[in-house]
Amino acid sequence: MAVAAAPTHGGGVADHIHPEPHSFIRRYIFSIDHKIIGIQYIVTAFLFMVMGGLLAELIRVQLMNHSGTFVKPDTFNELYSIHGSTMVWLVIIPLLTGGFGNFVFPLQIGARDVAFPWLNMLSFWIFPVAGLMLYSSFLMGAPVAGWTEYPPMSLLGGPGTSMWAAAIFLIGVSSTLTGINFLVTILKMRAPGMTFTRMPLFVWGQLATAPLLMIATTALGAALAALFIERQFGVPFFDPTRGGSPVLWQHMFWFYSHPAVYIMILPAFGMISEIFPTFARKPIFGYKMIAFSTVAIALLSFMVWAHHMFTSGMAPFLQLPFMILTMFIAIPTGIKIFSWVATLWGGKIHLTTSMMFAIGFIATFTFGGLTGVYLSAVPFDLHAHGTYFIVAHLHYVLVGGSLMAIFAGMYFWYPKMSGRIMNEFWGKVHFWLFFIGFNATFIPMHWLGLLGMPRRVAVYDPQFQFWNQFASISSFVMTAGILVFFINAIVSLRTGKKAGANPWGARTLEWQISSPPPYYNFKKVPAVLAAPYDFAEPLPYRGLEGELDPNVPAPVAAGH
Amino acid sequence: MAISVSQIPHGDPNVDQLYAETRDLRLNGFLLFMVSDLVLFSSIIFAYLYLRNSGQGWPPPGFSRLDVAFAAFNSVVLFGSGVTMHFALENWKHGNFIKFANWMVATIVLGAGFLSGQGYEYWTLYQKMHVSWSGSGIFGASFFTLTGMHGFHVFAGVIYLTVLLLQATNGKYTQHKHFGLTAGTLYWHFVDVIWVLLFSIFYLF
Repeated sequence: MAVAAAPTHGGGVADHIHPEPHSFIRRYIFSIDHKIIGIQYIVTAFLFMVMGGLLAELIRVQLMNHSGTFVKPDTFNELYSIHGSTMVWLVIIPLLTGGFGNFVFPLQIGARDVAFPWLNMLSFWIFPVAGLMLYSSFLMGAPVAGWTEYPPMSLLGGPGTSMWAAAIFLIGVSSTLTGINFLVTILKMRAPGMTFTRMPLFVWGQLATAPLLMIATTALGAALAALFIERQFGVPFFDPTRGGSPVLWQHMFWFYSHPAVYIMILPAFGMISEIFPTFARKPIFGYKMIAFSTVAIALLSFMVWAHHMFTSGMAPFLQLPFMILTMFIAIPTGIKIFSWVATLWGGKIHLTTSMMFAIGFIATFTFGGLTGVYLSAVPFDLHAHGTYFIVAHLHYVLVGGSLMAIFAGMYFWYPKMSGRIMNEFWGKVHFWLFFIGFNATFIPMHWLGLLGMPRRVAVYDPQFQFWNQFASISSFVMTAGILVFFINAIVSLRTGKKAGANPWGARTLEWQISSPPPYYNFKKVPAVLAAPYDFAEPLPYRGLEGELDPNVPAPVAAGH
Repeated sequence: MAISVSQIPHGDPNVDQLYAETRDLRLNGFLLFMVSDLVLFSSIIFAYLYLRNSGQGWPPPGFSRLDVAFAAFNSVVLFGSGVTMHFALENWKHGNFIKFANWMVATIVLGAGFLSGQGYEYWTLYQKMHVSWSGSGIFGASFFTLTGMHGFHVFAGVIYLTVLLLQATNGKYTQHKHFGLTAGTLYWHFVDVIWVLLFSIFYLF
């Protein structure tokens, strides 16, 4: 117990080297290896992204014309409801937590696997099943009340709404298990010497996200269960004609879904914090402040949910604290943005595709964050609520923020996952198509919203038609960029340049072992002497000798 | 926090140490599971309190207050099972298998007794006052949902404890390696604590 009690040593279990399974099924399908599970998550989530993207394009086609007749209005409602649900629960959250989280952070803390590998496998396999359940709701009349499914409309929607609730509930179970698993892993299984202030910042991102997954998702599960039993068994919770309250759903839903916003961004912040120092060849600026602000955002995220409900009817004396607390979030977020800019300042910048996405992230995320500060102000929110301004804001933070970071992370960690580097030329084509297409799609929505165009409508006032057509055409450019990415990711598996252990010259632990890493990750669990970001110093690890691929290329093979 | 490399143990740790850490990890995971379960209950409790305070008074017109006396008796049964569970684990730790088994059986019987009491209470409510899950507005909805969730936890706990007793009889645990029994005890106390909350908000206030 003496060793177990020491805060710096938690690697006891991980000191076992488990035998590698030989059958294909145990190794790649029902795998308990966190690296395989991470890749499974990433592949599945990208498949769902194709579906969600297809729905988005159908929405944009419908909106090309102000009296669009491409789909019926009811179908249009189904399209945006499933589009939103897909992108939040089946794409961004799984990519950032189950996907990159699983693959990257156990390597970064020097563990051989997560704390509960079998639970990890269960978490993964719930996810595609729940995704298919969600899509099966199309067959029985999909939900029509948007991804937030406010009653009473969600009580009136087709039978698919119950299927939607069940599917999201299952996804929530998967997220909760992942959160528990990650939290125990980070707290108990770090390599000897890896104190909290020596953890890579991506691990900090996961550490702050795991409790959100665990707590917020369970709260949503309660709301979904209540909605399900109300719809299926007629038990009143939300139906105002039977004594229930529709606003109750909004409280329960946003108590989850606001933290969920940070589930979708804190790991992305962590990724950016890894990519900037690596490609600027400079220690991260303000390591402790970035770590602290991550935790601060996670805590604040539980105190701001009602800012989604300023127009739902709440006492003015409650609006004020929610408004002020929401504005507080801009402080830790600002600390991060300035720390990243300061990291770039005076650095030796290598403009790889990954770095370009990371820099693009700062631009678009800051923009989306600023409109978020506008929206937190009650008077402005009363004007903009339920308009395209909201649509623009949320896409700026979720696509311009989370998804850009995911692409940055893909180009960054793809060599570690596959052993090959993604084609940089096509990567840059992807970046420019995506970046220009994205901004051209969503910038016009800001003024469309301010002029009063409501969201979630199949037809609209003719005066808005020009900018809607502009957005639709731009969205095709963005989609073309994503197609380039998919093709690049598949083709590079065979033709990409061999990566070697550390193609970017990065300093965190995962880059100090071969690509892809061996089944057991580390022959010997290394000792950690310092935080990883000081480029002037030798690597702060002991016990890694003999791990490195003999053909290590010179640092930064790609880019400039 | 700086530790020198020479102080870091390398090579194969001994088996006891490995074991200690295994239990540690599982215990942490189990505690976190209970935290998320607590959040599940808290959300529904929040919903209940929200609806209860939505302006029509409580109990809503047409309903009377729940019968405290019987529920109090039933609560004593459940809390008693928490005490017997505690004695069961303590006896296991001291190697008294027979006493352990007796206390376990007592716990399981008391748990089943609580469930029967709850069933009786549901039946009375339905027969005498026509209170049902879906037909009595938010009164029936909140009461049956929350106590039903708790009752399901007790039911699962009774099954779980029975499995643990069988496993222990078949020699799955030793005097020093008994994570399953520890987890079972924690779970059972957790269910007790939830009942304290539910009893207060439904019967007392």
